[in-house]
Amino acid sequence: MARRVRRSGLTMPINTPRFVDRSWTRNCDYLNFDFEDSVPQSQKAYARTLVAHAIAQGLKGGADITIRINCAYPEADVPAAVLPGVVHINFPKAETADQIHTLDQLITEAERVQGIRPGTVRIGANIETTLGVANSYEIASASPRIDTFSGGTGYDMSMDMGVEMFVGFDQFVYNRGEGALVAKALGLEYTGSVYLPDTSGNVGDRDLTRGRAEANRKAGLRAGGGLHPNTVEPQNVGLTPTHEEVQEVQRILAYFAQLDERGEVEGELDGHIIDKYEAARAAELLEWSALCAQKDAHKASAQARARALEA
Amino acid sequence: MEPFVRRSHLLVSAWDEAQVDMSWQHAADAVILDLTDAVPNLEKPQARANIKAAVPVAARGGAEVFVRINKELAYADIMASAWPGLTGVVLTGAETAADVEEIAMTLAVAEKEHGIANGSLSIIVMLDSGKGVWNIRQIITASSRVCSVGLDEGRLCCHLGIVPTPAFDPFIYAKGRVIIESRAAQRQPVGISHPAGLFPHCDDAEERYRLALRSKNMGFAGVICPDSSWVEPCNRALTPSDERLEFYRETRRLFAEGIARGTAAIPYPGTTMMIDVPVDERARLTLALWERCAARDAEKRAALARLT
Repeated sequence: MARRVRRSGLTMPINTPRFVDRSWTRNCDYLNFDFEDSVPQSQKAYARTLVAHAIAQGLKGGADITIRINCAYPEADVPAAVLPGVVHINFPKAETADQIHTLDQLITEAERVQGIRPGTVRIGANIETTLGVANSYEIASASPRIDTFSGGTGYDMSMDMGVEMFVGFDQFVYNRGEGALVAKALGLEYTGSVYLPDTSGNVGDRDLTRGRAEANRKAGLRAGGGLHPNTVEPQNVGLTPTHEEVQEVQRILAYFAQLDERGEVEGELDGHIIDKYEAARAAELLEWSALCAQKDAHKASAQARARALEA
Repeated sequence: MEPFVRRSHLLVSAWDEAQVDMSWQHAADAVILDLTDAVPNLEKPQARANIKAAVPVAARGGAEVFVRINKELAYADIMASAWPGLTGVVLTGAETAADVEEIAMTLAVAEKEHGIANGSLSIIVMLDSGKGVWNIRQIITASSRVCSVGLDEGRLCCHLGIVPTPAFDPFIYAKGRVIIESRAAQRQPVGISHPAGLFPHCDDAEERYRLALRSKNMGFAGVICPDSSWVEPCNRALTPSDERLEFYRETRRLFAEGIARGTAAIPYPGTTMMIDVPVDERARLTLALWERCAARDAEKRAALARLT
């Protein structure tokens, strides 16, 4: 499956029309329509009827469509969520491999009923409890549909650990380490984040978001997401390689190709050792840059069409 | 959430009568009478003989009382300690589930012989080896008696060949593992943030509070206090503050209003913070914890009042 670009994404209650109807204008790489914590219990059933409309709105902006379901009601949520256009089910509060097995079976059945190519809909397992962290490997390896793995931070996690959220140090350091190692060991994309101090809890802080996105990119992480529209562009920009970086990695690759032609395995370029590891890193960044450009072009085209139709 | 409030565990030498006699005066939630490192080998029989009388002394202020036992002398230590009034034992050096099962069986024997309710004595596990830290899940789930788990940082340094320095915490991973595995297994993680676990001497009261608060925000729910100066800051830090109570009461009020309007995503006024289900649940749990802490403090005050 092609590598997806998920630099920016907004999670929003699917039952709030003012969010959903404007979602396509936000320029997100993906949209995460929520059945879970932002939807009151009394509106869960109603929320399940809104997926087709949400998909139509989100696709106008060229975003990938994700649905966050409730871990407690997968039997009710999955048949409502898996419609053509949805590529990802976000499964929150994952705690056991059995939950993922059940989810996989439900998605398989929903794909069959909806006439969706088998295996299209992937799973993002999100870890939000201590039991989930403890069972990370079993969860992440429970289904071939899982392509992203993250968590171990956030409000649910802080609640289960008995810690406050914004304390000026990384209270989730162990959880991030476990998540990143498990994801890498299984060849999944780790969609967590590096830690940057945040004592405000401001979900719309552009500067903090941009700084975190750039730190993530330098740490080899590629995914973002948030709750506030202010986070979208800082992540689109911060997680996209700069022009200078692209030029730099092109030079590295050209230099390494010369080394290779001479039968050498390493050399020095501008005071830095260049070897196959540096070349691989450069190739990944170049590939990532191209994917970002493709995604940006796709979104721009979709949004232009939508605006033309609305004009 | 644990069925008990044990923010502070004051460690005193069971061999030091003066320490034992004063142990109840510091408002600790628990007192641990130490039969291990604080007692020379030759004095262990005498210290053991003192335990039966020391338990009610340590409990005068309403504290729960534990005895820290020697793993290799567990039978003698337990049979000398397991009398009515004891809450449990502290076990250091467990490396496998079998180590805990053996202690649990000995506790069962002592309960039967000394007229204590079956299964009532608890175990606090202090891990002191790489093997113990790695096997934590098996160790803490080996018996329902295991109520709490932490690291014996000094011994762990010896085991791993670490020369401790205040400059950095050598146990970031081990502490994270203790916190995650213990909470996942519904046990209480006990511990303190660096450097207090290895360098407990601290003359600055506010620094003690700061370190205790940091421990709480790492995920620890209780602290082993090496001396009485740590008890008050630990009790204070591990109790939700007035400022947090006010914040969380307002959070609950705003969320309830939002639910009544049909939304579960509510902006916190004056900020860009959002209140949703987990934020509200966090508020509910924090308020419940405060009530349990207040009830525990009232119990201790009542115990002191009975003395006068």
